Amino acid sequence: MPKHIISGLKYLAAVELRKNGYNQNQIAEILDMNRSTVSHYLNGRNISVNSVEVAEVIRDFCRKDFLTMVYTLLKDVNQTRTIVKICSNTSYKSNIGNSCIACGICSDACMMNAVVLDDLKAKINDEFCCGCLICGEMCPTNSITITEVK
Amino acid sequence: MEMTDVINKDISVERTGVELRKLHFNNDLCAACGLCEKVCPVTAIEVNPTGAMVRTEQESSNIDIDSSECALCGMCSCICPYNALNFDIDGESIKESDLYPRLIKSSEIDEETCIYCKNCELACPPKAITIARELPVRSKLVTGEIEIDKDTCVNCGICEEMCPADAITLAYKNPTSIDPTISSGIDVNKDSCVYCLVCKKACPVDAIKAVCRTCSYGDYDLNSEDFGTKGKTFINQETCVDCGWCEDICPVDAIKVEKPFEGTLEISGETCQGCETCIMACPCNVLSFPQPEKSGGKVEKIHKDEKYCIYCGACEKACPVNAIDVVRTKINCTPIKSKAWQKAFDNVLN
Amino acid sequence: MSIGLVTYPELCHGCGNCVVSCPVNSLNSPEVAGGKGPRYDDDMIMVVEDGVVTLKQTDLCGKCGTCVDACPVFALKLENLEDS
Repeated sequence: MPKHIISGLKYLAAVELRKNGYNQNQIAEILDMNRSTVSHYLNGRNISVNSVEVAEVIRDFCRKDFLTMVYTLLKDVNQTRTIVKICSNTSYKSNIGNSCIACGICSDACMMNAVVLDDLKAKINDEFCCGCLICGEMCPTNSITITEVK
Repeated sequence: MEMTDVINKDISVERTGVELRKLHFNNDLCAACGLCEKVCPVTAIEVNPTGAMVRTEQESSNIDIDSSECALCGMCSCICPYNALNFDIDGESIKESDLYPRLIKSSEIDEETCIYCKNCELACPPKAITIARELPVRSKLVTGEIEIDKDTCVNCGICEEMCPADAITLAYKNPTSIDPTISSGIDVNKDSCVYCLVCKKACPVDAIKAVCRTCSYGDYDLNSEDFGTKGKTFINQETCVDCGWCEDICPVDAIKVEKPFEGTLEISGETCQGCETCIMACPCNVLSFPQPEKSGGKVEKIHKDEKYCIYCGACEKACPVNAIDVVRTKINCTPIKSKAWQKAFDNVLN
Repeated sequence: MSIGLVTYPELCHGCGNCVVSCPVNSLNSPEVAGGKGPRYDDDMIMVVEDGVVTLKQTDLCGKCGTCVDACPVFALKLENLEDS
C-alpha cells in the first residue's frame, strides 16, 4: 500500500513539474524515476485512480502532517524534500525574534534544510520553507514566527 | 589495599544534527559560583549549594544540567570564568570563534622581565604557575686558589666540618701498623669551593694556602653572562583563575592580569558569624580570618583583599546568613552580536 | 537536586557543637552566639533535645556545612534528600 501512495504522490509531482515546463527526462531525474514510467504517468497509464485520490488527500493535509506523512512513506529525507516542495504551492514568510539564542535546534529539526545559523541568529530561507512549523514548535525561546503569504 | 572509588562528576550533553554540538562540564574546575545558572536562557542549569559542595563530601556534581532542557546554545561556557564549561561545535571550541562573545581574561608572564623568583608560583591560589629555573654554576661566580699541604695536614677534619660549601672531603680509613694514619688523603672540590677562606683560618696547623681572587681584584676575570638564573615560566590557562595574586606579588612587575568582571564586594561584619564557608568557597584567596596582634585583641571578623577578587559571586552564594553582597557592574568580553545573548549576559550584572 | 541536612541520632553524643557553630543559629539567638543552648527553637535550625540532635527549622538552613565540620562523630550530614 505505501508504494501505491508513493506512486500517487510522484504522479502529482510529475504533473506539477510538467505544468511548470519540465520535460520528461528532467522530471524523471528530479523524482528519481525512469523516463517511461514518467511518460505512462503523464498519460494516465499504469497509475490507479485510488492512489492518486489518496495522494491528493495527503497533499491537502496541514503542512506538518503532509511532510511527516511523506517522510514516513518514503523514509528518505532528500526525496521527501523534493516531493513536498513540488506539491506545495503556498509561500511562507518567516520572522526570527531577537530572543533567538542560536542554539540550532531549528536547523537540526528542519527537514527542508531551510534554516541556517547566521551571526548567532537563526535564518530561514523562505524559498525552502514548507510551512510545517516544526522549527517554531521546537524553539526553546519561541523566537520563530512563520506566516502564509496570500 | 583499600581502593577509593573516584566518582566522575563531569557532565556531557551533546546533540548531532547539522552540526555536532557538545557541552562538557569539568567539575574539578567549578567553583559553584552560579554564573552559568544566571545566564542559562532555558533554566537547564541548577547549581548546588556552594557551601555544601566546597565544604562537605558530596557524590554529586557541583551543578546539574537538565539535558532535556539544555538547548546547547553555549552561553554558560562563555560566561564561566573558571573554564569549567566548554562548548564545542564540530570539535572546535567556540572560544576560538569570533561569532561568540569571549571573556577578556588573561594572565601572562613576561619572560624578558621575570627573574624566576618563584613568588608567583607560591602565591597562586590554584597552583597554576610553574617556574622552572636553572641556577648559575657556582664555580663560575667566584675565582681563587686553594691548596692543602698534605705533609703538614694532620687529618683533623676541622676544615671539612667547617666548610660551608661542603667542598672538602677526607678519605677516612682505619689506621694500621703499616700506615698509622686515619685518612688516605684530603680533597678540595674546586667546583664547590667559594674561596671564603674559613678552612684556612680554622686550620690548626696552617696546612691550607688559599686566596680569593674576587676579593682582591674584583670581578675582572669572571664572565657576567654566567651570573644570571635562566628559566621558563608556565601558566596553566585552564586552572588559572586570573585573580591577580601573581601580578601583585611579582617584585619586578613581570606579570599582567586582565580580569573578566568588574564590581564590588561588600561584607557585613555585623551579620557575619565567622563560619569560614566563604573563605573555603573563594577560588581566588580574597578572604581570610585576620589574626589579632596580641591574643584576645579585637579584629574585623573577616578580611577581604578585593584586589584579588574577580566578582564571581561564589562567596555570596556560599554565605548562609547573606552577609556578603557581590555586585558586578561590567563584563569584560568581546562584542556580543546577539540581542538575546546580550540580555542573558546582562542577567549577571546588578 | 535537593541537598539538605540529615541527622544520624544513633551516632550523636549530644555535645551541641552543631547548635553553636551554626551561623544561622548564632545570628538568630544571642545565647547561641554566646556559646550556650538556645532558649527557644522557633528560629533554630537544630537543637539538642533529650541529649540528641534534633532538626527544627531546616528551611532556614543555608547549607554551608559548618555544623557538619563541627560534629565530632559524623551525626550530621548534608546529603541529597532525593536519594533517601
